[in-house]
Amino acid sequence: MKKIVVALCVAVLVTVGAGAQTKVSLKQGDNLPDRTSGMGLVFDTINSEFKAANPGVDIAVESYPDQPWQEKVKIYVAAKQLPDINKYWSFPGMFKPLIDAKLVQPLDKGAFDKLGYLPGALESNVYDGKLYGLPLTADCWVIYYNKKLFKEAGVTVPTTYEELLALVPKFKAKGIIPAVTDGKDAWPLVETFDNLAERINGNFGRVDAALKRTAKFTDPDFVQAATLLQKMATSGLFADDLMVSDYGASRNLFGQGKAAMYLMGTWEVGLATDANFSQDFRDNVDAFKFPVVKGGKGKVDDLVAWYGGNIFVNATGKNKDMGVKYLDFLAKRWPALAWEKQAGYPAQKVVARANDTTLAKTLLAIGSDAKATSGTPSLDRSDAQFKDSIQKAIGELVVSIITPEEFCKKVDAAAAKAAKK
Amino acid sequence: MTGPWLSSKNLGKVVLGAFLIVLALLQLFPLVWVFNYSLQKTGDLFGSAFFSLPAVPQWNNYVRAFVDGKILQSSINSVFIVVTSVAATSVLAFCIAYACTRMSWKLRKVVLGFVSLGMVIPIHVTLLPNFIWFGMFGMLDTHLSLIIPYVAFQISFSTLVIAAQLQSVPLAMEESAFMDGAKYRSILPKIIAPMAAPSIVTAMISTFLADWNEFIMANTYLATDDKRTLPFSIIRFQGVYASDYAVQFACMVLVAIPALIIFFLFSKWIMAGVSAGAVKG
Amino acid sequence: MAETKPLSGGFVSLERVPMKRLFNNRPVIAALVVPGLLIMVFAMIIPIGFSVYYSLTNWSGIGDFQWVGFANYVEILTADPTFWRSLANVGILILVTVFLQNTAAFALAALLARLTPRWSRFFRTIYFIPAVLSVVVITALWGNIMNPTFGILNKFLSLFTTDPVTTSWLGKPATALGSVVWIIVWQGFGWALLFFYSALMTLPVELEEAAKIDGAGRWMTYTRVILPYLFPVISAIIVIDVISSLKQMEIIFLSTGGGPGDLTQFTAVYLYQKAFVASQYGYGNGLSILFVVVAVGLTLLVQRIFRTEGELA
Repeated sequence: MKKIVVALCVAVLVTVGAGAQTKVSLKQGDNLPDRTSGMGLVFDTINSEFKAANPGVDIAVESYPDQPWQEKVKIYVAAKQLPDINKYWSFPGMFKPLIDAKLVQPLDKGAFDKLGYLPGALESNVYDGKLYGLPLTADCWVIYYNKKLFKEAGVTVPTTYEELLALVPKFKAKGIIPAVTDGKDAWPLVETFDNLAERINGNFGRVDAALKRTAKFTDPDFVQAATLLQKMATSGLFADDLMVSDYGASRNLFGQGKAAMYLMGTWEVGLATDANFSQDFRDNVDAFKFPVVKGGKGKVDDLVAWYGGNIFVNATGKNKDMGVKYLDFLAKRWPALAWEKQAGYPAQKVVARANDTTLAKTLLAIGSDAKATSGTPSLDRSDAQFKDSIQKAIGELVVSIITPEEFCKKVDAAAAKAAKK
Repeated sequence: MTGPWLSSKNLGKVVLGAFLIVLALLQLFPLVWVFNYSLQKTGDLFGSAFFSLPAVPQWNNYVRAFVDGKILQSSINSVFIVVTSVAATSVLAFCIAYACTRMSWKLRKVVLGFVSLGMVIPIHVTLLPNFIWFGMFGMLDTHLSLIIPYVAFQISFSTLVIAAQLQSVPLAMEESAFMDGAKYRSILPKIIAPMAAPSIVTAMISTFLADWNEFIMANTYLATDDKRTLPFSIIRFQGVYASDYAVQFACMVLVAIPALIIFFLFSKWIMAGVSAGAVKG
Repeated sequence: MAETKPLSGGFVSLERVPMKRLFNNRPVIAALVVPGLLIMVFAMIIPIGFSVYYSLTNWSGIGDFQWVGFANYVEILTADPTFWRSLANVGILILVTVFLQNTAAFALAALLARLTPRWSRFFRTIYFIPAVLSVVVITALWGNIMNPTFGILNKFLSLFTTDPVTTSWLGKPATALGSVVWIIVWQGFGWALLFFYSALMTLPVELEEAAKIDGAGRWMTYTRVILPYLFPVISAIIVIDVISSLKQMEIIFLSTGGGPGDLTQFTAVYLYQKAFVASQYGYGNGLSILFVVVAVGLTLLVQRIFRTEGELA
C-alpha cells in the first residue's frame, strides 16, 4: 500500500513539475528558405540566441520563396492560422489589409525609438498613428558597377542620364553588356521609373499626388520619365532579354563580370563578399548614385529609398506576448548581426567597420548623404490591382509595344480606378 | 564503282540511323545539362558559357543537397505518400473502370464521363478552399492531406486508360468464372486485373510521375519541415533574391533519378498498356 | 460493347445467380464506384463549389468582401481582352499540337516501326526522357538555349548570317509565343510518340500486305489504309491534346509569365495570376469557373466531332 502511495505522489510531482515548465512554441513564417547564408542565417542565429535566453521557448520556422509565402499568408489568414511571427512587407497594399482585419499586434513605438532606426524607418510601419511592424532593411535604389570593366572600356562613372546612355557603345565595342536588372519581375523597372520621374520633377511627392488624384500620371513630367525609361531599353543599355531575365540570372551576369552595371537596391551589399563570385569581381564592385537628368529639378542626393521588409506579430495568436518579446530582442541584435553577415542594409544605424568592403562603405555613404527620400515606391503605394496594372504596363513600355503616352494613360486609369475604392 | 554495301538502300539506312542518333543526343541533352550544372559553382551558372565542364566538379553540392536539403527525410515522405497514392488511385480507377464498362446500369456512361472530365479541373482553384475544408477535419500538415487530393486528381486519367482497355476484353471471361461459382471479389483481382495489366501499369506510371514531381499542393497543405516531400528540397536553396542555383540543380538530379529508374524499368509495360488502350472494339 | 447474353440452355446446374443479375448487382456496383467518387467529390468538387461562391464576390484573399453577383463574369466576358487572348493562345497551341506535333510523332513512329524491336525500344526510351523530367528543368534549359546573348540557338544561327543573331526569342513580341509553344510541344513529344507507336503496333500485318497486293505505294498505304484504320486512336489522342493544352501553366509561368504584354498569356496562367498574384481572388475564381466550362465544352465538342463512342458522355 505504501509503495503505491509513494509511486502516486512521485507521478503527481513529475506531471506537475513538467507542466510547470510551460513550453511556449512560437511559429514563425518568412521568405528565407536558405538558412545557410544571408538573412536566413541571421534569423537562425537570432532564433538560437533567443531560445538560449528564454528556456522553454521553441521556435518552428516555415519558409518559402517570396510569391509562395505571400500566398500561404493569405491561406493562413483565411483559415485563421497565421503564425505568431511573420516576416512581411510594410507596403500599404499588402500590410493594411492585415491591419484592417485586426491581425497585427500594435507595438509600443516609444520602446523602439531609441534603437537607432533611420529617419522614416519606423514611420513606414505606422498606420492610424500606431506602430504595427518593425522595419528590417533600408532599401535604396543605386547602380552597382564593375570598376574593372569600366577601365577596360575606358569610361568613368556617369553623373547624368545622357552620360549613362553614352556609355552604351563603348561597352558594346568591348563585348560587355552595359547594364542588367531583373526585368522579369517588373518592379525594378518601376523603381527606375520613379527615380527618373523625381530627377525630372524634383519632388517625390508627385507620385502620391497622382494617386490621390490631385495630379495625373499623364502630366508631362511622368510622360518624360516614361520616355527616358523606354529610351534606356531601346538604346541598348540592357541586354535584349531584359524582360525574361529574372533576378538570379541578372545578378549572376553581373557577378560573373559579363555586365558592367547592375540596377538594384542596397540589400545587395553582399555582392562584395559573395563567395560564389571571383575574388577579382569582389575587389572591383562598387556603386554610384543614380544620375541626374539634364534640365531636371532632381538632385543626385535625392534617394529612392523605402523600408520594404518588416516583421510583425499575429494579434490573434495565443503567443502574442512572447512574440512581442521576440521582436524586442530582434531589434537589439538585428543591425549588428545583419551588417556582420552583409545580409543587407539595416534599417538601423550601423557604423562602418575598418575591414568593411569598399562597396559597403560606399553604400553607407550614399545612405547618409541622402537629402530627400522617396518612401514606398509607386507600385506599392496603392492596392494590389494598381500594382498589377503598372507592372504589366511597364513591361509593354520597355519592349516598345506601347508609347510613353499610352503607358501613362494606362497607369493613370489604374490610379483612378484604385482611388474610387 | 561503289562497293555493294554503298547501295542506295544502305545509304538510306545510314542516313536514317544518323538522324535517329542525332535526335537521341538532343533528347538526352537535358539530363547531361542538368547534371553538368549540378557540379558547377553557383556563380558560374547562367553565364556566357552555355556548356562547359566544371573546372573542379563541385560534388559538395550533392553533400549540401543531402544535408541542408534534408533529402533523406523528404524522400521517405515522398515515397510513402506517392506509393500510397499510386496504389489507391490504381485500385479505385480499376474499380470504377470495371463498373462502368462491364456492368450494366443506367448511369454508367454518365459516371465514366464525369470521372474523365475531372481531368480539366485546374489545381490552383482548389488550393484555398481545400485548405479551409481539410482544416475542418484536422487533416492539414499530414500525409493524408496530400494523398487524398493526389488520388482525386489522378483518378480521371487512370480510369480513362484502364476503361479503354477493359472494353476490348471479352465478357466471356467473367461468365465462365461465374459459372464455376466464383464471386466478384475473386474474379476482379484474379482474372480481370491481369488481363488489364498493361493499362493498369500505364496508369500507375503516369500517376507516379505526376505525384512524384508535384509541389504546389505540397507547399500549401504541409507546414512543418519534417513533413516535406522531395520537390521542396529545391526550394530550400532559394534565397530572398539570389539563389544557390548549383545546389538546386543537384536537388533536381536527385529528384529525377527515381522517376527515371521507374520509367526505364517499366517502359515495356507503358508500351503495352498504351497499345492495349489505343484500340477499342 | 456487347450486352450480356443469357446463358444458352442447359448449363444450369452450377448456376448460383442469373447472369443478368450478376452484371447489374447493385451493391457490387456501388462498392466499386462510390469510394473513388467520394474522394473526387471531397477534394475536387467541393472546392469547385467554394470557387463558384468566391467568384460571386470581390474578395481579394484577405479581409472582408462583398457580394457582387455576376459582375466578375460580366467583366471577364465583356471587358477583359486578356481572357480572350489567353483562349486564343490555347487555341493556337491546340492547332500546333494536333497538326504539327502529331504529324512529327507519327512520322517518327512509322520510322521506328521499321527498326528491329530492340533498336526501336532503345530509341523510344531515350526520346521519352524529356517527358519524365520536371518542367522546372525543361524551362530552365530552354531559357538558356534561347538566351539572346549567350544561348546556343543564336550562336548556331549566327554561323549562317553575316551579322550575329541576337534575337531574344522569349522576350521579343514577334517570337515569344512561338518559342513558348515550341517548348511545350517539345516536352510533350515523348507521349505523342509513344501513343502513335503503340497504335502502329496494333496494325494487323494483313492490312499492309493487302495494300501492297493492291499495288498501293507507301504514301497511299499510309493515307488511305493505315490512317483510317487508326482513326479511333487518333481521335483519342486529339482529345488528350486538347485537355493538356488547356491545362498548360508551369512552362509559361516560369519562362515568360504571360508576357511581353499579353502575347503569351494562357488561361491557366492568367487565372493563377489574378487569384494569387494580383490579389483579385474573386475575379480569379470567376476565370477558373469559366475555364472549366470552356474546357468541358471544348472536350465534349471535339468528341462529338470524332464521335468516339463509349468513352466520355
